[in-house]
Amino acid sequence: MLLKLKQFFDTFFLVELLKGLSVTGRHLWKQKITVLYPEEKTPMSPRFRGLHALRRYPNGEERCIACKLCEAVCPALAITIDAGPRQSDGTRRTTKYEIDLFKCIYCGFCEESCPVDSIVETRVFDYHFEKRGEHIMTKAKLLAIGDKLEPQIAADRAADAKYR
Amino acid sequence: MANEVCFRTMHLDEPWTLEAYKSVGGYKVWRDILKNKTPANDIIEQLKTSALRGRGGAGFPTGLKWSFMPRGMPGQKYVVCNSDEGEPGTFKDRDILRFNPHQLIEGMAIGGYVMTATVGYNYMRGEFYEPFARMEQALKEAYDEGLLGKNILDSGIDFDLYNHMGAGAYICGEETALIESLEGKKGQPRFKPPFPANYGVFGRPTNVNNTESYASVPVILQHGGQWFLDLGIPNNGGTKIFSVSGHIKQPGNYEVAMGMPFKDLLQQCGGMRGDKPLKAVIPGGSSSPVLPASVMMDITMDYDAIGKAGSMVGSGAVMVIEEGTCMVELAARTAHFYYEESCGQCTPCREGTGWMSRVLHRILDGEGKIEDLDNLQDIADNIMGRTICALGDAAAMPMGGFLKHYKHEFEHMIRTGRRWVDDQQNAA
Amino acid sequence: MGTVTIEIDGVSLEAETGSMIIEIADDAGMHIPRFCYHKKLSVAANCRMCLVDVSNSPKAVPACATPVADGMKVLTNSTKARIAQKSVMEFLLINHPLDCPICDQGGECELQDVALGFGNDVSRFTEGKRVVQDKNIGPLIETDMTRCIHCTRCVRFGTEVVGMREMGATGRGEHMEIGTYIEKSIESEVSGNIIDLCPVGALTAKPSRYKARAWEMQSTAGVSPHDCLGTNIEIHHRRGEVIRVVPRENEKINEVWISDRDRFSYQSVTDSERLTQPKIKKDGQWQTCDWETALTHVCDQLNNIKQSEGVENIGALISPSATLEEMYLTQKLMRGLGSHNIDHRLRQVDFSSQFEAPMFPGMEFDIDALEDMDATLLIDADLRREQPLLALRLRKSTRHGRVMSVHSGEVENNFKVSPNVSVPASDLLAQLQGIVAALIEQHKEVSAELTELFVDIKPTPDQQTIASELRINDNACLLVGQSALEHSKSSHIRWLAKTISDLSGCAFGELTAGANTAGGYIAGALPHRLSAAEESNICGWNTQQMLQKGLSAYLLMNTEPELDSSYRDAARVSLLKSKFVVMMTPFAKGEFLDYADVLLPIAGFTETSGTFINVCGEWQSFTAAVKAKGEARPAWKVLRVLGNLLELDGFDYVSSQEINAAVKERFESTTDARVGHFQRPDSLESGGEKPRPLSMYDMDSLTRRSLCLQMSVQGQDNWRRDQIEHLVASQSLPETESPDSLINLSASSAESETASLQESSDA
Repeated sequence: MLLKLKQFFDTFFLVELLKGLSVTGRHLWKQKITVLYPEEKTPMSPRFRGLHALRRYPNGEERCIACKLCEAVCPALAITIDAGPRQSDGTRRTTKYEIDLFKCIYCGFCEESCPVDSIVETRVFDYHFEKRGEHIMTKAKLLAIGDKLEPQIAADRAADAKYR
Repeated sequence: MANEVCFRTMHLDEPWTLEAYKSVGGYKVWRDILKNKTPANDIIEQLKTSALRGRGGAGFPTGLKWSFMPRGMPGQKYVVCNSDEGEPGTFKDRDILRFNPHQLIEGMAIGGYVMTATVGYNYMRGEFYEPFARMEQALKEAYDEGLLGKNILDSGIDFDLYNHMGAGAYICGEETALIESLEGKKGQPRFKPPFPANYGVFGRPTNVNNTESYASVPVILQHGGQWFLDLGIPNNGGTKIFSVSGHIKQPGNYEVAMGMPFKDLLQQCGGMRGDKPLKAVIPGGSSSPVLPASVMMDITMDYDAIGKAGSMVGSGAVMVIEEGTCMVELAARTAHFYYEESCGQCTPCREGTGWMSRVLHRILDGEGKIEDLDNLQDIADNIMGRTICALGDAAAMPMGGFLKHYKHEFEHMIRTGRRWVDDQQNAA
Repeated sequence: MGTVTIEIDGVSLEAETGSMIIEIADDAGMHIPRFCYHKKLSVAANCRMCLVDVSNSPKAVPACATPVADGMKVLTNSTKARIAQKSVMEFLLINHPLDCPICDQGGECELQDVALGFGNDVSRFTEGKRVVQDKNIGPLIETDMTRCIHCTRCVRFGTEVVGMREMGATGRGEHMEIGTYIEKSIESEVSGNIIDLCPVGALTAKPSRYKARAWEMQSTAGVSPHDCLGTNIEIHHRRGEVIRVVPRENEKINEVWISDRDRFSYQSVTDSERLTQPKIKKDGQWQTCDWETALTHVCDQLNNIKQSEGVENIGALISPSATLEEMYLTQKLMRGLGSHNIDHRLRQVDFSSQFEAPMFPGMEFDIDALEDMDATLLIDADLRREQPLLALRLRKSTRHGRVMSVHSGEVENNFKVSPNVSVPASDLLAQLQGIVAALIEQHKEVSAELTELFVDIKPTPDQQTIASELRINDNACLLVGQSALEHSKSSHIRWLAKTISDLSGCAFGELTAGANTAGGYIAGALPHRLSAAEESNICGWNTQQMLQKGLSAYLLMNTEPELDSSYRDAARVSLLKSKFVVMMTPFAKGEFLDYADVLLPIAGFTETSGTFINVCGEWQSFTAAVKAKGEARPAWKVLRVLGNLLELDGFDYVSSQEINAAVKERFESTTDARVGHFQRPDSLESGGEKPRPLSMYDMDSLTRRSLCLQMSVQGQDNWRRDQIEHLVASQSLPETESPDSLINLSASSAESETASLQESSDA
């Protein structure tokens, strides 16, 4: 009987509605978390694992020494490497370094396994392909990304250095 | 008591000649043996009684060693004299070769007779130009006198002796490396067993003894083993040549009775140079651990006493060190020697000696770290007993001595970059 | 040899007296780390890695050099052993570079493996490391001497197994370096084995340098196609490409070694220009076509010639290194057509005793029995050139036994040979006759006819010695060399050799050309015999007749007669003159482009399944390791289709195993195993000649096309220098971009290639 009475008053005075509106009202004055992408962006961890890149040393020499550890560790078998002695100086270099982005699961193992910090995953996450075959990242493409983003890559590695 | 055995011709003019040697009774024993065909076992018994121990460094009883040779075995056997005197501080064999070569020849001939070896080699180190010439001359005299060769003095006994000159490598003082070098190969120790007594020069049974050991034999046989034993103290029979060097007034070779207190030996050498106080003594060549003065002044010079004090008689190279000598420098110099002289065959010695030497030199350069001292001790322990021959042990042992007694000098240098001795002097 | 009981890690084991702890542990499957110890080499005990804790020894002792004693208790894992092993590991690593990722041995390195188990994770060595200059020791072996840990396995291999002291240690202590002292190329024909022996990356294979990692390669068992031993190999390949060849252990045949040509000849199938599509020559121009066109063309032409000139004008020549299946199908095809002109004996000159030949020429004893021989006579054998691994076996016998040789021309042996009789080819017969005469002299019961035949011959002291050594020793054998069969009086040589063997009681062996001469005999790739030595009613032409008299049509099964046969000039003329030549070959370039009319691409030796029968009659089958390149197909499949197109019976095999089974059935059902029964000639012959011997790497089409072998010292001896120049010109090293060009490349192509990435992020 008492319960029924309570229900009647609640309905009559629109208590539920006001309760709901109070939540709306609270959030109306709160700071917004929506960002206006792409003009605005959320902060990113230096550990973000996005598009791959191959890095170089400051003197322009490519870092990769074709040890093939990334190829071995890759759980998705996305990396394909061919190696051989470089003709000019006989050092161990890749003749082919390809990552199939359709296979890649961005786990970051390649980066972790790399003994010379050559293959890295950058902060780039928004990219697309227009033609068939573009998903294969060739060595030249990866190096080009590395060249372009080197300051950011280096800064990210430096920031994370003490945890590695 | 001095100069009675290996240096018994020392008092004569031109002591290296055959005439001089004969005048003190030389070759009498050899002639007796040739005439009477003394049973080999009797000779070995005499040697065992005399308690003569190998004078090269290891101190293995010579009589026992000779008895190990398979005398009955048919085929060629060899006796080899190890005159590759490479241990830093040792120069006794050189003087035996220079001043009493005939006694060595007689000793080797007796050895050849006892062990039924008809060929002997005297392996001398590459730097021994003068001793080599003396030895060659003595050999010629002995051959001319008919004391060597085929069917010596119509006794039916053969013994040929050859002098061989090495190229100057410390490792060739190790008996199996010496054998390899003698065969014309690279001087690298062999793995033992088999020991040279079974598989030596050219794969035949071979006995290798030190120059002083061979040279002592004729005198022992002349006077009897008991006489020799009585010269010294029990279990440390006879006399021993100590090559005393370092900061003393009269460095040189001193043939003294075993068991002589170090104090007396020091006195014989004229005492400390400039009468400075004694700091330490390396009693048996660079491979023996250093002993500080306090220990040394109470000690007698024999195998047992020095062994008990934590060092060894070794080759008898007594290096006397005066107060004011930097032990870090000494350790680094010692380590560098072994680094240069390691043959490179087995891993711990090849890699470890270089490591020790580099760490010590880094400490000298003022870039030492305090954990280097633990590492040094650890490296030395890791080399010890893990190598094919004793060079590894020889390199590791002194390090323990330096660190045991003079760790504070190392620590001081690491902390301040200055020599402890300089700071002590400045403070005083 | 008695046995003792020892205990290793609490397990009680029986051990032969005199054996070392490490051998017992290895047999029991207990692992003791080691670097310098190798079961085929002497004990050096210099790496000190195998230190173990032995009861009643105060120090840890090396397991490789400590003989077992009764009641010995060994602990491989006690604190004492463990500390010793760890300390040695630390010493080994202080001067060893720790850059495994760029080392070619990474992934299959013994040091890496052991370091994982016994090394520290942090090094306390902070001084500078030793650096050693690399040596150039030829085109086969790459050196990286800084990585050397001085185990001296390579040195001991050279001194003990090969008998050539090529590698040695110079300097002492830390300055000790392994090398050739004076920079020179390694000359041994089995030098490649030091690559396998080296426990670290100091010695690695040059041709496959940096090509692949151990973990990415698949391995397929194979048999080497070069000599009659049937050396067991393991073909390592990755993504359908052969990367390298390594030995497969077979104690009975090759122990753990292989020769350099077994190891490096794969280069001919991977790097030289391959025939990937059938080709037909039309109006003097080569035109690519499909299989159907090519095979129909072959059938039409063969049928035409059969019609117009008679089937006896068609002949087939087969490489002695072709597989049993290929041999069998080729002869079946030819006989199906009606022609008996089939031969694989390309180097043979004297065919007069071919009807008396055994089922197949070979050795009457096992290869491993050779090392126990007390006396061995080599008759015109140049083992190092012809069967290098047999030379290693025989070298072992010289530790206790004696090797004697009678040969023509210059022969260099890597073991002691005495007497070592070297005569001109024309005097070879006289030498052997002298030995027979000496045996007759020494022997009591010899038939009168034989005595009479040799009555005029006075043996020399050397011949006397050889005769008595063979007669006195129970373990004695003679080997007729491969080049003896190239002699123009080889039948007489065989008979003399057989007579020596009969009179002296020594075992008899003949060494044959190619990998499968025995298979050729059994498959019936002969003009006078069908398969399994069934006598043929018609005797066709042999190699000599085919090439010297000339035919209208030839089927060449993986052979280049102008190089492979003893009739080089005649072959060129006949092949150019003939109307139709079908060439089945894996290669695109060669003199055959001038004389052939159809090229059928077949699989290389790593790409086909098949069977080789070795000189002892061992049947060894193998499977294809990789797929044939392009349109090329295994030869047996090509022959099968050809047989069907020619509408011949019995070409319905679906696998090479079926063909093998068919031959085997015939072989096993041959009840009267034909033993070679050489007829005594009526008179003794004399004189004779031999073609100039081929250099080691000119013997078959594979070695001829392997660049690294041709560049090696042995290859430089090749008197046909033109082929090397040709190779160098045709197969220059694969292009790799230099750093400069790469930077340019990325700078220019980066824009275009990454333009499509549409990076909207400005991160």
